[in-house]
Amino acid sequence: MISPRTSLKRRLTLWLIVIIAGLGTLLLIEAYTSARKAADRAMDGQLEAASLTIAESLQWPEGKPTLEMPASALQILATRWQERVFYWLQADNGVSITQNADLPITAAMQEQARHQPVYLDAVYDGRPIRLSGREVDSAGWDTQEPVQLWVGHTRRGRDLLAQELFRKSATRFAAMVLITAALVAIAMRTMLAPLRRLRQALRSRRADDISPLTLGVPREMQELVETLNRLFADQRDQRDALLRFIADASHQLRTPLAGLQSTSELALTSRDPDSWYQALNTVHDSAERTSRLAGQMLSLTRLQHLGPGHEREPLALDQLLREVAVDWADRQDSREHDLGLAIDLPTPIWVEGERWALHELLNNLIDNACRYTPPGSEITLRLGNDEDDDPNGAAKRVTLAIEDDGPGVDTESLARLTQPFERGRRQDTRGSGLGLAIADSIGLRHGSRLTVTNREPRGLKVSLTLPRCRPPEGSVT
Amino acid sequence: MNRRLHVGLGSCLWLWLVVGGVDIAQADEKLLIEAALDRQIVEPVLAAFAVENPQIDLDYRDRSTLEVDQRARDHDSPPDVVISSAMPWQLALSNEGIAQPLEAPEVDQWPAWAKWRNEVFGFTFEPVVMAYRLELASHMPPPETHRDLLDLLTHYRQWLDGRVVSYSPRDSGVGYTLLQQDARYTPRMWDLIAAMGAADVQLETTTQRMLEGLSDGRYWLGYNLLGSYALLWAQTHPDIIVQVPNDYSLVLMRMAFIHRDAPHPAAAKRFVRFLLSRRGQHILAGQTPLFSVRDDVIGPYTAQRLRDQVGDHLYPIPINATLLAFVDPLRRQAFLRRWDREIQILSE
Repeated sequence: MISPRTSLKRRLTLWLIVIIAGLGTLLLIEAYTSARKAADRAMDGQLEAASLTIAESLQWPEGKPTLEMPASALQILATRWQERVFYWLQADNGVSITQNADLPITAAMQEQARHQPVYLDAVYDGRPIRLSGREVDSAGWDTQEPVQLWVGHTRRGRDLLAQELFRKSATRFAAMVLITAALVAIAMRTMLAPLRRLRQALRSRRADDISPLTLGVPREMQELVETLNRLFADQRDQRDALLRFIADASHQLRTPLAGLQSTSELALTSRDPDSWYQALNTVHDSAERTSRLAGQMLSLTRLQHLGPGHEREPLALDQLLREVAVDWADRQDSREHDLGLAIDLPTPIWVEGERWALHELLNNLIDNACRYTPPGSEITLRLGNDEDDDPNGAAKRVTLAIEDDGPGVDTESLARLTQPFERGRRQDTRGSGLGLAIADSIGLRHGSRLTVTNREPRGLKVSLTLPRCRPPEGSVT
Repeated sequence: MNRRLHVGLGSCLWLWLVVGGVDIAQADEKLLIEAALDRQIVEPVLAAFAVENPQIDLDYRDRSTLEVDQRARDHDSPPDVVISSAMPWQLALSNEGIAQPLEAPEVDQWPAWAKWRNEVFGFTFEPVVMAYRLELASHMPPPETHRDLLDLLTHYRQWLDGRVVSYSPRDSGVGYTLLQQDARYTPRMWDLIAAMGAADVQLETTTQRMLEGLSDGRYWLGYNLLGSYALLWAQTHPDIIVQVPNDYSLVLMRMAFIHRDAPHPAAAKRFVRFLLSRRGQHILAGQTPLFSVRDDVIGPYTAQRLRDQVGDHLYPIPINATLLAFVDPLRRQAFLRRWDREIQILSE
């Protein structure tokens, strides 16, 4: 009934209606029964008065009960509502003394009345009536038979009285509901005021305003404001990072461009074709590096601004690793290194991922390792079980690592290594400082961050874990 | 003036309808009334009702109170409307659930003291009177109060012996009711009864017979006669004097109700509404000696006019549950036993 979009006012109103309706039904039922009880109590007094008046007139001449019906008793019994009145007197031996109606009085009822006066509901002539019975006994010179004395009347007065009482209760209840509704309406306005203030405060902010909100709100809403402020802080951090990246990027691009400018200027002052050739060579190398840098920056920003990966598919990671390793083995860049492959698991190993992205990731990792290690270093691509996985259960994840036995990185720089343009304080390479940042972005797209650790005794290990998946239908296992 | 003209026009219209509609709509509805009320007296009311409701075939049966009570209890062929002057019995019938309530504006306007449960309606206001022959006055001071009556019976017994007449409480419901009510007001009533017994009181069952006896000269003095009959009689019999007692005078009311199992309830309702209506009561006040209860009706016979003439010592027999005690068999038995005792207590 209540959808998440329902307004707070409507929710509160609905709840109140439910509560008041439920409570009201109970209250009204209670009011009805108590009204009937009160009416019965009041009118039973009349029955008692009439019964006592009749009992007073009972005489036992010669020990036999007889009665001169007192007229007033019947008028008391009739009440001002002019009920139909009934009386029924019987001696203890079962002989009727006098009666004006054949009342439905059972032996059980008589037995009850024997001990104390009773008041009962009954039906006579197809109508509900109220009866009162008592046993009258009196001292006398002769032994006197006790008399069962029953009087009764119809329920008109009781019903009217009960109705009146009930109507009063119901009116009171209705008034209470109206007052409550008015109070709740006022309360609701007051309670929702902080929400309105917050909305106004948010609406009046400029788009680039990321300062925290300073707004007095109730404790329950403080959390919401804090969350908003945290969001603003995150936004600020992200913007700062972006600005830093732009500054770094400009700086990174300016250095080779400045080199280009100085080299070409120097060459222009010379008349020697040899130095031209040399300068052109330098310019070519520099341009190539700059172009590669720009390409990597482009691919990093694209990765960071790309939506979640939609092109995921199950792919055999070991297969991919092998292809990339074979590809690299032929390249100039890795000739001087010893590139190895260590797959410690039964193959094939299926993971879900984007083929092009994982390809790029491996390329970057291998390129990075080659660039930052001296020639002759050993570089190993490794696939193994995730260390956090339960060793006894089925392996859910697979760890992809690249290890080298190069110089490693000092501990302070380890954490910053995945940030753009970070080179672990190495100025001696021609790397752009973006390789690990790109790899980290790709890892993030696959739900895993890059972990960078130093190896003992030397070397660096970069790893990430990927969730395994079921092999696709029809594949050969 | 205008209003009267309208009434006149209305009557013309009615007459036209009656004359015109005789062939088509004659007597498709029946109405059976069991009544302890002389037809002769109530005839003007019945005639007016018949003129206004030509489609209703009115069957009015005049009986004694006892017979009316029996008829009302007849489950096989119940009457539509029951009218009787035996007030306790009428109230007992209502209490037994034999009457049905009537809802109508006439009922709402009807005084509360003259109705019970909106079922039984006292629609006449008949004083209970003494009546004597004119020649009685030449022998003794004519009685004006109950005390006077007792004095006369004590001091002029030789003149009155065998010439006093009253209702038999045993054989007449009205007589029983009146005596019960008398005895409720004053215990000296029993002295009066004893005195009447000593004067060899004659007992009759109807006012009519008492009046006939008075005119015959058989009786000189009648006690507890229905004023309605007596006054009418006195108009044509100048030797009869009607005396409304000056100390207190009981007032009897004819009571009417619609039977629960009335075979023609619509016609019955129409009739009772007519009885209670301004027009019905107007006829009652003008053309019958029954006295109208409504105080907005003007005529020679109205409760208001009676009060103006007699003073405020009119005591209508109350229409309430106390009447039910009178019909209790034990109480009736005890009362009659005491009556029997008192009536002969002085004659021994």
